[in-house]
Amino acid sequence: MNLLLALFRIGLGGTFLYAAGTKLPDMAAFAETLANYRLVPPSLVPVAAAAVIGVELALGLLLVTGRLARGAALVATGLLAVFTLGLSQALLRGIDLRCGCFGGNESATWLTVLRDAGMLAVALALLLRGPGRLLPRRSAAASEPDRAPSAATEG
Amino acid sequence: MRTLAEAALIVAAGALLGLAGNVASPRPAALARPVHSAAESGTGMCAVAGAAPAARAPRIAVEEAKGLCDACKAGFADARGASEFAAGHVTNAVHLPPAGHPDEAVAVAALRAFPLVIVYDGDYTCALADEVAHRLKREGLPDVRVLEGAWPAWVAAGGAGASGFCPACHDPAEAHR
Repeated sequence: MNLLLALFRIGLGGTFLYAAGTKLPDMAAFAETLANYRLVPPSLVPVAAAAVIGVELALGLLLVTGRLARGAALVATGLLAVFTLGLSQALLRGIDLRCGCFGGNESATWLTVLRDAGMLAVALALLLRGPGRLLPRRSAAASEPDRAPSAATEG
Repeated sequence: MRTLAEAALIVAAGALLGLAGNVASPRPAALARPVHSAAESGTGMCAVAGAAPAARAPRIAVEEAKGLCDACKAGFADARGASEFAAGHVTNAVHLPPAGHPDEAVAVAALRAFPLVIVYDGDYTCALADEVAHRLKREGLPDVRVLEGAWPAWVAAGGAGASGFCPACHDPAEAHR
């Protein structure tokens, strides 16, 4: 289970890094896409766009490295929930727009919502079950005498 | 509680990282300039699915439009976004700012000098040119037609083209509106 969680964490982090990397060269285009969702007042759109990309970048780095992983999972959960709800409300209102997920001109569809929902489930799992670990913990017998019960290794 | 504190730190640090990244980006978002949705600004987006489509404006074939362009007997209105206009447009075409923009009257006045105005957008299937054509008709322009095949057909037919931002949006940041 720990290995699976760790793989999920690295996969999710890599996806965030890729998403931020595709948007960084053209942040103006992402601001235009964000404006089309009509969730943010026009005056705040450019700042929100820059902030979203920065948060994605930070989440990617933290999830891949496993640093502050619980906090990163919480932020990822919130961000993905907003993405999923934003996409859903736009599709339900019949707004034809670009997803903006990975730069480019990918249209937003219900498949996009499904993908975001899958990532949201992964983020929730990381938040609730912890970041996992790639390598098994040293044997309890060997380490127990030296380790206090509260010496958590997460984050 | 600790997780919440971590999350707040990540959001704050991420936002700062994003603002720094914006400075370094080749195409940064203009932070001081509001960005309106394409539907609000009247540029850059094809349609709202399910919404009533704009009535089809009269069409004009590319070959006929080319002849009128070469003879300077028609005005051309570009219905696309400013960045697309800057990348390439019909020579002497007027880039229409969003409805209500301070420069809108100047752009419409420039088109009023022509007996015929040809509107084009970037996508053959896009209804945007139809919407703009109706907007110009409401402004009182007598003969407004939509270019068949839009900008791609114009390019494919070897129509006269130019590039660069329009005078009203010479500031590249305007391209983000």
